[in-house]
Amino acid sequence: MTTIRVLIADDQMMVRQGFTVLLNAEPGIEVVGQAVDGLDAVAKVAELAPDVVLMDIRMPALGGIEATRRITGPAGATVKVLVLTTFDLDEYVYEALRAGASGFLLKDASAAELAQAVRVVAAGDALLAPNITKRLIAEFSRMTGAPRTPLKDRVGDLTERETEVLSLIAQGLSNAEIAERLVVAEQTVKTHVSRILVKLGLRDRTQAAVFAYETGLVRPAGY
Amino acid sequence: MPRVGAVDLVAKGDRERLTAFLRKAPRTVREGLRKAPRAVRGDLWTVARDPLPSVGLLGWLPHVHVMLFVAIMGLLNANQSRQVLGEASALWTLIAVLQPAAALLALSRPVPAWWLSTIGLSATAAAAETGADRDTLWPWSVAGIALHTLVLLLLALRVRPRVAVEALGLTVLAGLLNTSLASQNHNQVLTRGAVIFATAVVVGTALRGRRVARTRLVRQEELTAEERSRRTLLEERNRIARELHDVVAHHMSVISIQAQVAPHLVDAPTAELTENLAGIRESAVEALTELRRVLGVLRSEDAGAEGVRHAPQPTLDRLDEVVAKVRGAGLTVTTETTGAPRPLSPGVELSAFRIVQEALSNVLRHAPGAAVRVAIGYRPDGLTLRIANTAPREPVPLPSDTGHGLLGMRERTAMLGGELATGRTPDGGWEVTAILPATAPKPPADPVEARP
Repeated sequence: MTTIRVLIADDQMMVRQGFTVLLNAEPGIEVVGQAVDGLDAVAKVAELAPDVVLMDIRMPALGGIEATRRITGPAGATVKVLVLTTFDLDEYVYEALRAGASGFLLKDASAAELAQAVRVVAAGDALLAPNITKRLIAEFSRMTGAPRTPLKDRVGDLTERETEVLSLIAQGLSNAEIAERLVVAEQTVKTHVSRILVKLGLRDRTQAAVFAYETGLVRPAGY
Repeated sequence: MPRVGAVDLVAKGDRERLTAFLRKAPRTVREGLRKAPRAVRGDLWTVARDPLPSVGLLGWLPHVHVMLFVAIMGLLNANQSRQVLGEASALWTLIAVLQPAAALLALSRPVPAWWLSTIGLSATAAAAETGADRDTLWPWSVAGIALHTLVLLLLALRVRPRVAVEALGLTVLAGLLNTSLASQNHNQVLTRGAVIFATAVVVGTALRGRRVARTRLVRQEELTAEERSRRTLLEERNRIARELHDVVAHHMSVISIQAQVAPHLVDAPTAELTENLAGIRESAVEALTELRRVLGVLRSEDAGAEGVRHAPQPTLDRLDEVVAKVRGAGLTVTTETTGAPRPLSPGVELSAFRIVQEALSNVLRHAPGAAVRVAIGYRPDGLTLRIANTAPREPVPLPSDTGHGLLGMRERTAMLGGELATGRTPDGGWEVTAILPATAPKPPADPVEARP
């Protein structure tokens, strides 16, 4: 198992140091650097090429959302951003997801949750905290208004099976769960997922979930 | 033709309505007549009247005019009464005094004054009936009509239109009574007098109507303004509460992280230590859960501009950014710090930052082009902020006291138990001074930082 290389970006020294201690104590995870604000984070990502960035949203100089956009924006960028937040179900968190973040984590998460989050995001085969993420996307995707038509057209490129898989991703199911639901091999699901991502030009399943809600492919229940 | 049919239909409808009205009319009239005396008594057997309206610039001028008019007409009235009633009669003196007195009384008690004046008119008419020759105006003299017109006008200005109309009706009725009891033909003035009286009532009622409408409008505006300032206050408090809870939540999450990190910092943590730290972490997480609920309630739509929202809650360190922004907008800003700067509690830092920010944006709004001096003084027991600007290039209206900015400053200062003073400076500028109590500096505690 290869080591997951992590960069921590937070303007508070105590948070950076604390997370570094907690993550370095976990097997298979190594903190390779710290950034004090958004600009620093963008520079350190280019310099250190980490696998995962823990990104605070509120930072001076350059906020976490814009930094996420700059880090995940370039084509071929494989680094995953995990947003650190004091408040879940927050519109900033949703903005961060739209900007390209793969998931979000509360700052008061336990060491185990923290390590788990880093591993899930690095592996990319499931949504992080599926229920909360689903609720967050469902709640805030309504506010962004009508589905953007260019996006909607892109759904047409998907096969029927791929559309089905996309809606299951949006419901927060992992690859294994989708395989079980559709009675196929997990490897087949993986292939479907990567085809969906390529066809829609999305970087990970979080972005796929946001896409599915914003195009109206998945309707939030209860609204 | 359908057209005719339609007209017929309308006519038929009208006819039906008319029949129904006529059928009901006698009863309505009967009931009206039965109720009328009581209504009239209720309306006119009273001293009730509107409060004297404020006349602003006119001051006592209307009163003086009324008195002059009454004096002239009173003399004229006395003269006429003496001619008609004869020098010997004592009655003329009484009447000569009674009517002007009524007109003067109408300034403060219009309804009793009207009774007095009407009785005076009728009594004069009755007494003068035999003495009046064919050329003399009867039942009312010119001066009598003038004085009573004044009374009716003052009455109509101060009572409801219905009451004024009733008074007019009773006046004319009294005149008719005099006429019906007359023993000879007279130079009858009843119709002309009634027209003059009616004119006075119409004018008075119209003026009163306008005044009432205006008063109501002013009251409405006051209510709206009150409502608005209350809402502004609540919004401002909401904003302050949100910011402060935000700061607290931030600290809580740091505590929860630190409590987790601490056991990693010693080689072999004892069970007690681990348990104790787990307890601290649990409390911090619980407090955070509650804080999230509070913030969910306080969260508002206007959380500020994009850049502000993604930045941490500001402290005085970031004042330079604000000053630079204000300089960019064309103000000359000089800053000055006295005393030894030290980190203060987050609430004080945040409030101090917001007060300076608000004061500067007020200067931008109300004194474009002025020069501003921002003085920050660190004292052992607190922090003083003084933001003073020179006079604006061109005169601009004084900022209203209920403005959002001043209100926010006042709330923040009051919350910390400090003092705020705002006001004009002798050179025509504006000055905001705030004194915020702040405790002595705490020793920097950063155990993680302290370790290599």
